[in-house]
Amino acid sequence: MVAKIPLTMLSENEEAVIVKVNGGMGLTRRLSEMGFTYGAKVKVLHSSPPGPILVVVRGSRIALGRGVAMKIMVSLEADA
Amino acid sequence: MIIRVAVIGNPNVGKTLIFNNLTGGRAHVGNWPGKTVEKKEGKCLHKGVEMQIIDLPGTYSLTANSIDELVARNFIVEEKPDVVIDIVDASNLERNLYLTLQLLELEANVVIALNKYDVAKDLGYEIDVKEVSTLLGAPAILTVATTKEGMEELKDVVMGAAKVKDGKRQFLISYGKRFDELILRLVCVLQKDEELSSKYPITWLAIKILEADEEILKLVDKSPCKHEIINQLLETKT
Amino acid sequence: MSEKIKEILGEDAEVAFAERRYALISEILPRILKGVRPLTRSDLLDKALLNKYLGIPIFLALWWALFRFTFDVSAPFSDLIRMFLSKLGEISRVSISNQQLASFVADGVFGGLGGVLGFLPPIFFLFLGLAVLEDSGYLARAAFVVDRIMYKLGLHGKSFIPMLIGFGCNIPGVMATRTIDKEEDRILTILVNPLMSCSARLPVYVLIGSAVLGGYAAAGIYSMYVLGIVLAVLMALLFRRVIPYFKGKPSPFILELPMYARPTLRGTFSHMWERGVLFLKKAGTIIFLGIIVVWFLSSYPWEAVHHGDNFLLENSYLAMLGKGIEPIFRPLGFNWMGAVALFFGFIAKEIVVGTFATLFGLAAGGTGEVIPALRVSGIFTPLTGLAFMAFTLIYIPCIATIAVIHRETASWGWTIFAVVYGLILAYVVALAIVGVGGLFGHV
Repeated sequence: MVAKIPLTMLSENEEAVIVKVNGGMGLTRRLSEMGFTYGAKVKVLHSSPPGPILVVVRGSRIALGRGVAMKIMVSLEADA
Repeated sequence: MIIRVAVIGNPNVGKTLIFNNLTGGRAHVGNWPGKTVEKKEGKCLHKGVEMQIIDLPGTYSLTANSIDELVARNFIVEEKPDVVIDIVDASNLERNLYLTLQLLELEANVVIALNKYDVAKDLGYEIDVKEVSTLLGAPAILTVATTKEGMEELKDVVMGAAKVKDGKRQFLISYGKRFDELILRLVCVLQKDEELSSKYPITWLAIKILEADEEILKLVDKSPCKHEIINQLLETKT
Repeated sequence: MSEKIKEILGEDAEVAFAERRYALISEILPRILKGVRPLTRSDLLDKALLNKYLGIPIFLALWWALFRFTFDVSAPFSDLIRMFLSKLGEISRVSISNQQLASFVADGVFGGLGGVLGFLPPIFFLFLGLAVLEDSGYLARAAFVVDRIMYKLGLHGKSFIPMLIGFGCNIPGVMATRTIDKEEDRILTILVNPLMSCSARLPVYVLIGSAVLGGYAAAGIYSMYVLGIVLAVLMALLFRRVIPYFKGKPSPFILELPMYARPTLRGTFSHMWERGVLFLKKAGTIIFLGIIVVWFLSSYPWEAVHHGDNFLLENSYLAMLGKGIEPIFRPLGFNWMGAVALFFGFIAKEIVVGTFATLFGLAAGGTGEVIPALRVSGIFTPLTGLAFMAFTLIYIPCIATIAVIHRETASWGWTIFAVVYGLILAYVVALAIVGVGGLFGHV
């Protein structure tokens, strides 16, 4: 069973894999262009709510507002 | 003979510096017609050939999501520049290549400048430039804009690329069986619309339709082939 | 039609394409790239700069340093330029026989050049400082750090940088809103940007504050900055709530943080130069022309103004203009001189001090002589002086800013709105200051 949790629930230095990106069309598309797609690895560099969250995805450091990050669902279990 | 060269790339890749290196810092700044997006143009004289350099907005992608992207995309499609220099941050290759792929699909005559190569080396990266060219079907150069390293080579390559502008092979990405088939079907239909097929690369158009790109769909809406397109899609609905 | 397509293809279609492209990149990548990016110096630096507790103080310190640097380093240059042009003005005055021409050249042309070129140093140094912050990669961190506060205020994290730049000058501040993707957020930021007290207003505060606020001058000046921020926040919240166009939340905050880089001399200077020259062309010409206009209106009708050896400003067109609009300002306690100064502040806030100098028959040299003259003239009481400062803060930004607002919004509607709401707000606040002060027994 793959547990899906929003990106915001990860702690600093935790790594996970994206399983789904919710959100209105524009947002999903924008995120996918930036590299937030199914199967992509994300690592949280910095997170102090309620401020934005800083992650590494596909080699880039991207800052996401909390609202945005909550729509990215990830799984902590490694891909088979 | 004047070569028209567009410069594009993600934000923060050093595009401004490369543009300045090419144009000697002398640029004419204005606005894209009817838009609030800044348009920068300059000239570059290299080995007796004049190059007109146009700076396109820095963007991550070429969708219809924002004015920046639309301006860049429309310029490439409508003005058909002789060469498009895609400035890639060599220290951040993965995400930067996304735009590169989009440019290749748009059938732009791409020259890839792998900029910030010094930073990449510092980080311990090694880039096989030849492989990049081979795999992507576009010439690639290593550049360090801050020290002007690679700039002369870039100009040479741009000039060379301008000469082979129309002889390029199409760069095709496979999107999986279902979509590849749909793309082929749409291409057949679109070929019947003379106006669209003469102005836009057809395969690219088909892909944009499937991506539900707003601007392209507005165009297709007015096309006589509209209904046939929808039919094709309905036919393959599982 | 897009709805139909999405319906047919299913929800996942649009991201399927992005995913496939990235999948291709993942396949290609190992063949072209060797090496792995470790936790870099950049990331370590970020640990400190983005820290929950340290982030904002560090940011505030850097910003304060930026402005200190800008104004302290540029001040000697400005003074030098003004002195030099003033000298040239005097030389031309005595060497040209025709009185009117002499005045035109000395006061109009050289006065105008002094006014414009005099504020170039702070502008260029501001742009230089900003270029360093931007090229180093820090600016993105600043947006990150302030986003949580901005979001609560109905503004986008990326709005903060333009607003902060606005403290230096509203023109680059408005221009900096380009980084904001969503048009509604961008226009909202543009509309409140002028409330950030730009550096051109400072001489006005210093003049009025020193002249009539006595020991409270510094407090009075500081309160203008605070007032500006408070009003900007209130207006942002108000506009978001009341104007349908702005309804809804700020667009999602997605920002790439580039690696920290050492800014190169060449890169930074070229950024600074590019923006500085643009500013000079746009603002410079307008302000220069404005000063010539002031000169003309204050010197003519020639005979009436230059009666004998006297400089009778009361007879000039300028005075007529002032007296004409005075009634509007009487409830605020401003007389025709204040009205005239405000009128020309519309052209450029830099002109206000010069206008007062002209009104008191002084050569447009430095603030030094004007302060006592203003104090002695008794035009302003502490209360009306404060109201005047507030009015200066709030009302229409200078013409150059209006021009830039028009360019960035591509809409006369928004531009006019910016001007009108500024005027109304300025009047209301100034009136409130005078009114509330009156209740407490001040006059």
